[in-house]
Amino acid sequence: MNIDFAPELEAFRREVAEFFAAAPTPTIREAGRKTTSVFAPFKECMEWHRILFEKGWVAPHWPKEYGGTDWSVEQRFIFAEEYRKADLPPLLPQSLGMVGPLLIDLGTQEQKDRYLPGILSGQDFWAQGYSEPNSGSDLASLSCRAEAEGDDYIINGSKIWTTYAHHANRMFMLVRTSSEGKKQQGITFLLLDRMDYPGMVVRPIVGLDGFPEQCEVFFDNVRVPQSGRVGAENDGWSVAKHLLKHERGGSGGASPALMRYCERAREAAAQTPSPFGGMLADDPVFQRDIGELEADIASLGHFEKLAISGHDVALDPAFPSMNKTINSELVQRASTLMMQISGVDSLARQLEALRVGSNVEPLGSEFDLVAMPLYLNSRATTIYAGSNEVQRDLIARSMASAGAGA
Amino acid sequence: MDFTFTEEQQMLRDSVGKYLAKNYDFDARQKLVRSDAPWSPDVWQQFAEMVLLALPFGEEQGGLGGSITDCVAFVELFGRHLVIEPFTHSVMQAGAALAADEGAAAKAWLKKLIAGEAVIAFAYEEGHGTPSPDLITMTAQPSGEGYTLSGEKRLVVGGADAQALVVVARKGHSGAPTLFLVEAGAEGLVARTYPMIDGRSAANIRFDGVRAAALTCAGQQLDRILAQTIIVQCAEAVGAMGALVALTSEYAMTRKQFGMPIAGFQAVAHRLADMKIAYNKARATLLYTAALAESGAARPRDIAILKGQTGKLGRAIGEAAIQTHGGVGMTDELSVSHYHKRLLACDAMFGDHSYHFRKVGRG
Repeated sequence: MNIDFAPELEAFRREVAEFFAAAPTPTIREAGRKTTSVFAPFKECMEWHRILFEKGWVAPHWPKEYGGTDWSVEQRFIFAEEYRKADLPPLLPQSLGMVGPLLIDLGTQEQKDRYLPGILSGQDFWAQGYSEPNSGSDLASLSCRAEAEGDDYIINGSKIWTTYAHHANRMFMLVRTSSEGKKQQGITFLLLDRMDYPGMVVRPIVGLDGFPEQCEVFFDNVRVPQSGRVGAENDGWSVAKHLLKHERGGSGGASPALMRYCERAREAAAQTPSPFGGMLADDPVFQRDIGELEADIASLGHFEKLAISGHDVALDPAFPSMNKTINSELVQRASTLMMQISGVDSLARQLEALRVGSNVEPLGSEFDLVAMPLYLNSRATTIYAGSNEVQRDLIARSMASAGAGA
Repeated sequence: MDFTFTEEQQMLRDSVGKYLAKNYDFDARQKLVRSDAPWSPDVWQQFAEMVLLALPFGEEQGGLGGSITDCVAFVELFGRHLVIEPFTHSVMQAGAALAADEGAAAKAWLKKLIAGEAVIAFAYEEGHGTPSPDLITMTAQPSGEGYTLSGEKRLVVGGADAQALVVVARKGHSGAPTLFLVEAGAEGLVARTYPMIDGRSAANIRFDGVRAAALTCAGQQLDRILAQTIIVQCAEAVGAMGALVALTSEYAMTRKQFGMPIAGFQAVAHRLADMKIAYNKARATLLYTAALAESGAARPRDIAILKGQTGKLGRAIGEAAIQTHGGVGMTDELSVSHYHKRLLACDAMFGDHSYHFRKVGRG
């Protein structure tokens, strides 16, 4: 067992911090502070993506030959920590975290040559077309059909909860190519090289926080080339399952972002009077609550570090489900604490002040501006990417097949 | 970054595991707990022969220069087998205190401890978990060449049967807490012995002007001893948690009600999933904090996080295990309740999770 504290790492930390202090534009910084979701404001987020690409730091977790880095686990965590300290907008996960790593593993040479450069540079943004109106937790029951015709597929049906599809120029999706056999067996994984095919309509959905983050995508006899298929026809379920392998929290795990929420909560609590006298930050109950939350976030960080450094914990078939469950519930707890600190000051609906570049002054502090939208948006974390009920089913099933949980 | 046990640690783990599997199954353990003996002298002697008692001490002291992660590697198995021998208190606490002293008496006692010839208790607790040495109130008054101790220590694990005690007290009312050595049978010592809920033997000990020798206790020494104790005690707790998760999932797969294994009911399945999540969190924090301590980089906050998490998650796992087992989980006959009681003890001693969470939160 060891943890490296070599002096070179401190130099690396300084290098990263200095870059983060100098490189982002004021609007990119504003977008970072006004991020109230896993998905940062699109335009500024992609601007920042391109700056990081120029620096060679856009995909630290990718293999170096594909444009990643050869950083150690320590370096990746330092990068993630400094990133969060600087309140920069997180990069969008669909391209760099999902379809990119998938293509590196399973794409044809042609697909890699064609798509990886645009994913890396930020010229392209990919939407993820999985869920359907009648296929949420039971994703394998999906019914959006693709019929082979010549060198093409003809797609009919619809997708929903397709994040930022209205910003995307490409899309990866699961379609049904066969109704024979088990429902998992007739699914195919497709890459769409554009979003403006004839018959394709994208319609944004306004969320409970007031923002159009999610979309519906409709397909009416949409003809797409078969060359966009990843893996074999009807083998898309195993391709999609392979993708899960990459949902390990990208470069440095989720814990640095959660710790940053706690820091912001502490700063706000130091400015907020306690109804029992003194400041909220000095209140024993508050101290105990935030201490309990921070300890739990620390445990997630330890779990992530074990996994990324190659400990056996990552070989557990239930690892992705455990990681997702822990992370998603901590996001909710952190945002709930923030909302509670903000109290009545979180009740004003301030969509215009929240817009990046807005000249509308927020009513209160920036903390009060983001606390409620963050809380509301984070209700989604335990629903998306497989609801936590489904994740717990999978974890329990892994215990049955192992015959033991430990 | 690497959190796997080294080959040597794995070998140590395997040999301790093999020994305990053969000699310390639950039935044998219960027979021992029900006997009059506070622990098994045979087992203690075996620990000495397996050099577990020598492991944490420097080679110049007759030890092996083992690290904190070496200790974690095998103490986890003590938790899995609900070992009642006072390893943590005698070796990690009293032994560590003796090892820091240059005097002949301390050296002689440490030699006996390493050889398995003496058990030495650590008289620290004064009630309420005494999570920090700052809370110690017992005082030592100078007297002749030594000191006299007055006051009471509680929950001294192995206290009545130890051949000597290392006692934590202040020199005068305003002095910092420091360490004293007292031999068993000293005049003015009155011990009241009792079994703990988790099968160990402990004593409340009154000191009425007991003669004691001061031990060297430099700077942050007590804090270091306490931090190492907490890591090792948490390793024991995590071992117990792992055993409970395994026992409970196995039980839920075989116990049938309404014509099917109860693990097939989602409410039960989700509780099993939560147990597994809790165990993985606690074990990750244990391994990380142990590695951090080995690098010399564990701050008080890291230790508080470990102790808080282990205490809270351990109790949750124990309660879930009893609930899943139903009626039989309530019995003395099954091991489940005994694991739970060990976890309760690990939470309460040296500050419970509420204390440690507030310590984290206060910053």
